[in-house]
Amino acid sequence: MNNTVFPFVAVVGQEEIKNALIWNVINPKIGGVLISGEKGTAKSSLARGVCNLTAGTELVELPLNTTEDRLLGNIDFEHAIKSGERRFEAGILKKADNNLLYVDEVNLLSDHIAKSLLEVASSGVNIVEREGMSYRHASNFVLVGSMNPEEGGLRPQFLDRFGLYVEVTGETDTRVRSEIIRRRIEYERNPVAFEEKWRDESVVLGNRIERAREDLRKIVVSENAMQLAATIVNEANCAGHRGELVIIETAKAIAAMDSRKVLNISDIKEAAKFALPHRVRENDNEPMSSPPPPEPEEQQEELEQGEPNESGQEPEEQQNRQESPNNHSEPSEDQGDEPQENQESDAERPETPNDDQTDGDDDFFQGDSETLDAPEQIFQIARWISEREKGTITKGSGKRSLMVTSSLQGRYVRNRCPVNGKVRDIALDATLRIAAPYQKTREKNGMAIAVEKSDIRVKIREKRTGNTIIFVVDASGSMGANKRMKVVKGAIIAMLNDAYQKRDKVGMIAFKNHSSEMVLGVTRSVELAEKKLTAMPTGGRTPLAAGLNMAYEVVKAGKIKDKDMLPVIVLISDGRATYSERGMDPFEEAMKSAQKIRAEKIKAIVIDTDQSFIKLNLAEKLAVQMDADRYQIEELQAMSLVTAVGLSL
Amino acid sequence: MKKNLKIYPFTAIVGQEKMKLALILNVINPSLGGVLIRGEKGTAKSTAVRALADLLPERDQIETCRFSCDPTNADQACSDCLEKIKGAKLSTVQSKMKVIDLPVSATEDRVVGTLDIEHAIKKGEKRFEPGILAQANRNILYVDEVNLLDDHVVDILLDSAAMGVNTIEREGISFTHPAKFTLVGTMNPEEGDLRPQLLDRFGLVVDVFGESDISQRVDVIKRRLDFEKASEAFHQEFNQQQVELSDTIQKAIDFLPTVTFDDQLLETIAKISTSLGVDGHRADIVMMKTAMTIAAYRGRNEVTKDDVKEAAGFVLPHRMRKRPFDDSQFGIGSIEEIVNELVS
Repeated sequence: MNNTVFPFVAVVGQEEIKNALIWNVINPKIGGVLISGEKGTAKSSLARGVCNLTAGTELVELPLNTTEDRLLGNIDFEHAIKSGERRFEAGILKKADNNLLYVDEVNLLSDHIAKSLLEVASSGVNIVEREGMSYRHASNFVLVGSMNPEEGGLRPQFLDRFGLYVEVTGETDTRVRSEIIRRRIEYERNPVAFEEKWRDESVVLGNRIERAREDLRKIVVSENAMQLAATIVNEANCAGHRGELVIIETAKAIAAMDSRKVLNISDIKEAAKFALPHRVRENDNEPMSSPPPPEPEEQQEELEQGEPNESGQEPEEQQNRQESPNNHSEPSEDQGDEPQENQESDAERPETPNDDQTDGDDDFFQGDSETLDAPEQIFQIARWISEREKGTITKGSGKRSLMVTSSLQGRYVRNRCPVNGKVRDIALDATLRIAAPYQKTREKNGMAIAVEKSDIRVKIREKRTGNTIIFVVDASGSMGANKRMKVVKGAIIAMLNDAYQKRDKVGMIAFKNHSSEMVLGVTRSVELAEKKLTAMPTGGRTPLAAGLNMAYEVVKAGKIKDKDMLPVIVLISDGRATYSERGMDPFEEAMKSAQKIRAEKIKAIVIDTDQSFIKLNLAEKLAVQMDADRYQIEELQAMSLVTAVGLSL
Repeated sequence: MKKNLKIYPFTAIVGQEKMKLALILNVINPSLGGVLIRGEKGTAKSTAVRALADLLPERDQIETCRFSCDPTNADQACSDCLEKIKGAKLSTVQSKMKVIDLPVSATEDRVVGTLDIEHAIKKGEKRFEPGILAQANRNILYVDEVNLLDDHVVDILLDSAAMGVNTIEREGISFTHPAKFTLVGTMNPEEGDLRPQLLDRFGLVVDVFGESDISQRVDVIKRRLDFEKASEAFHQEFNQQQVELSDTIQKAIDFLPTVTFDDQLLETIAKISTSLGVDGHRADIVMMKTAMTIAAYRGRNEVTKDDVKEAAGFVLPHRMRKRPFDDSQFGIGSIEEIVNELVS
């Protein structure tokens, strides 16, 4: 199938993705690019289109549902049956060697496949040692991934593997937007003619890329350039040394594309914009980064003057040419630590990727004292945080939902020998591969293939499971009295919003007066949850134990239905229990229920709404009893329920 | 033509004009990206989709091709058919576009296709056994209760729907085949939301409600009873209308490539999208294509402002940059207001 692809050069705008892809094709050492962004922004079209520009680089796709045997390669089944020999049948990683490996929706890739992929990506070699076969081959590829952060983030190790990171958004200019529609419709009406129309421009760009590839070897990397790169990386608080290397390699590609032999400051700066956003280290306890000081413009200009912009090189750089062979891409280790003393470090401020978020920070801190009674504002905060997460790529948020499952549902990823001889969910393809080499010698009893017990392999499956979050909400009079309920509702809504994106299920139990009530059965419909929540009346006494007991029952019942369920109980209360169904001391009874929840090892979180002058710390006692994380409702205004739950998981 | 008498005739469905139009538009122009029908139980969602089968056009396909390849489109032919097209050794058959069901319980290997185990055991050879996506090529893929579909099956649908190609790299099989289908989904929003990513893949969305007009409700009951009592006579009664609608659809298909639009309308569309804060560009493109298809259906060869306005109603509601509970989210009402303002 020779599917026409929307020509790369015909894509309107999106210069950042285009550049990042082109640089990678010029210089595969950059290590690929991760494209993150909204739906429908030509992410996939561009990745596919860039390979059509030049000969020599092919696009190899890694579908999300790839099984391990096809990724790494495995026994050639047909050959084994016919000749009794084990021969290696190459997988995707072989095809990808010297090519571009494209993973669409890379954040949805199964954990195990991602792990194998990373291993090979970092070593450049695929080593297969299995089923009596020993095989290795080189596998150097440019890894290009696209993802929509709404669907969850990527693990830090995986993130770091991508040389560059680009975030895309839709165009906002109406002229540009209309041009996009026009071209798309023209293309769909006649793809062949459309390709023809853009052929010349494609060829020009293709030639330029090919020439840049040639020129790459001639690029000189000066000591200054390396120091600048190291300084930037250091200032940006990035983990590891990969950042510097990527910056240098990218800057080389930029210079080559520009037909220059020397790196400019602007090359390094440009490269840093792409190489660092996903490497900036985050402080876990303090999700907000402090706003970076403004760039000292004057000094920067001076520096730029000091550095030759055109090919007029300084003699010093000429020397470096011999000292640092450009193919050797590893600057020595100590370079990362050294440059703080260097005066350049003050002059050159990294383009901190957090720049655009700092406004949010300020607003946020100023607004802090006023947010107490306004759920809308809490929601704003949650949105701000999730927006922010979008920007810096949520780390690991997708992971919590991925698990190996023992049930028969989920995606078949790889196979293994059956445990204890129990065979369930047989992996026929793998079993046949194991059996194949023995067919020449086995007694077949009239069958085409004889399978013995030792050949049998079973499937290992992976499944995405969202959490099942059960809110246990105190709806007693004390909650309604001082409008606390409003705050609580705001906080829950913010959390529901997060649940919506993560595909969590949500249930809600309210307790007041004499009993608890399942206001909302466990559902994925967050809209429904919100409706029920806003309509929830408050008043009466506080049967806390009843609420907890019901949550416990719901979780138990849920576990029977779905073994893989990940339950979280979120108790929102001040802990002042005032009613017991059984006539016990209300608080004692609640403590007993809490103990039950702990005994079942159910994850719990307590949101303490006690705002009275004299705090009784009852909720805290409950939290300890349940082994739950506890948050003050005031604290939540500072970090949002979403983050709180995120930290607890 | 032999009719499946168990299927309720499309033209006999009372009201629900928007839903019917959305389905028809997708038949006329399969590149619109399908339609998602959201609504309560018992609002003729599934009935309408199944009824569509009777109206689907006949088209050429390469004989014996498992993927119903188009003999005139080498670009999207499977590898076997590509050989045939190049060697000009084609035999073509006429066949009707079909509605292919994707049951919610479908397993991944049945959806994407898998190793043909029987063949492997009998012959000792690897062969690809096509799945539902193979059948769906150039057809309509219907998922009832699409919001209940397993996440990993959804991922596959997204992938294929985006590229029109199904790439299999699993269970020892490495295979690629065309899978360009019109995705039609129905769901009851009370049973859970759809992932934003999948939502965006549906070109159009229609929200259906039960008819509130008493006389219409009575009609619904009457027709249903008539149909159940004597389906043959019922089909007879609506035969004329069915034939007319089929003809209109066929005419529109032929007419669509000649439909033109004024550049001014493109800007209008872009303005609508930017002022409503729609993610990405898919909405813009689908809006124009929908407007063009509406024009073709109504027998006009020039897109009008009203076509755009009507298209916006299908294309925008699910693409607003909204999170649930966002108070600022636009209801259908305000979409209409903004669109009206910008169009006029």
